[in-house]
Amino acid sequence: MADKRTMTLNLTDQEMSLLDELSARKDVSKTALLRQALRLYQMVETRLSRGEKLFFEDDEKKKAELMVV
Amino acid sequence: MKARIQIVDNATGQAVEAEIFDEVTVEHFIETQQEWRPIVLKAARQLAARGSHQLIPQHFHWDWTTKAPELKVLANAFYGIRCNNQLQGLMKVETVGPFCTCRLPEQAGKSLVYVDYVEVAPWNLKVLAAALGEKPRYNIIGTRLIEAAVLKSKEEECKGRIGLHSLPMTDSFYINACRMTPVGRDPAKQNLLWLEYTPEQAENFLTGAK
Repeated sequence: MADKRTMTLNLTDQEMSLLDELSARKDVSKTALLRQALRLYQMVETRLSRGEKLFFEDDEKKKAELMVV
Repeated sequence: MKARIQIVDNATGQAVEAEIFDEVTVEHFIETQQEWRPIVLKAARQLAARGSHQLIPQHFHWDWTTKAPELKVLANAFYGIRCNNQLQGLMKVETVGPFCTCRLPEQAGKSLVYVDYVEVAPWNLKVLAAALGEKPRYNIIGTRLIEAAVLKSKEEECKGRIGLHSLPMTDSFYINACRMTPVGRDPAKQNLLWLEYTPEQAENFLTGAK
């Protein structure tokens, strides 16, 4: 397991509520959820930088491109 | 990470020491292309010549070198097993991504570690070794890799939950040997069978794998 560093994170009440909700739904700790989010962000950034596009597809197979800023 | 593990030498039936590691590099991918692929293709040709097309592994065309850019993505983890100075198996898992969510009703929506690719060296696969008139060299390589995926899941706080899409020829391995739960065919992934572990199943698997 890689060494870990500690940081303090300041969140609004809404952000903290969302973090609580998502970590409960995913059944992981808030720390684990934020680490997942960071990795997901890197994965998306890496693929977009290669010229790939990110889409959401609905039940009718309609695609909507997601713009990442 | 490097750890000593035991695998089974089929020639003697005895356990032998091997090493599992997660510092996989592009050199390991090149090794699979140089050492594994020619044997896989030779065995596949033999099977085709005998009309046994159904025995040709669906993964015969895999090229790990195309995954080199994915080594830098933190969402991915790679594991290799080395024994007798040869790579005996290789696996890629994802800790986040489109397939990292449970589908089993009792744990739907929870995070899991997704086993994206597992490949065992061709000389360890019964069907390929037999096609070349040989016996498989080492056993339980696949089991050891799945064990690593479960341990990764625990490290990521997913409590042992893992999921994967099985190629048709490996369905029985995951269902009968690993005792994963088959959830259903996935039209989003070539209609492959989706299987999952619950934390309890993962724990039972780890206990059995010892």
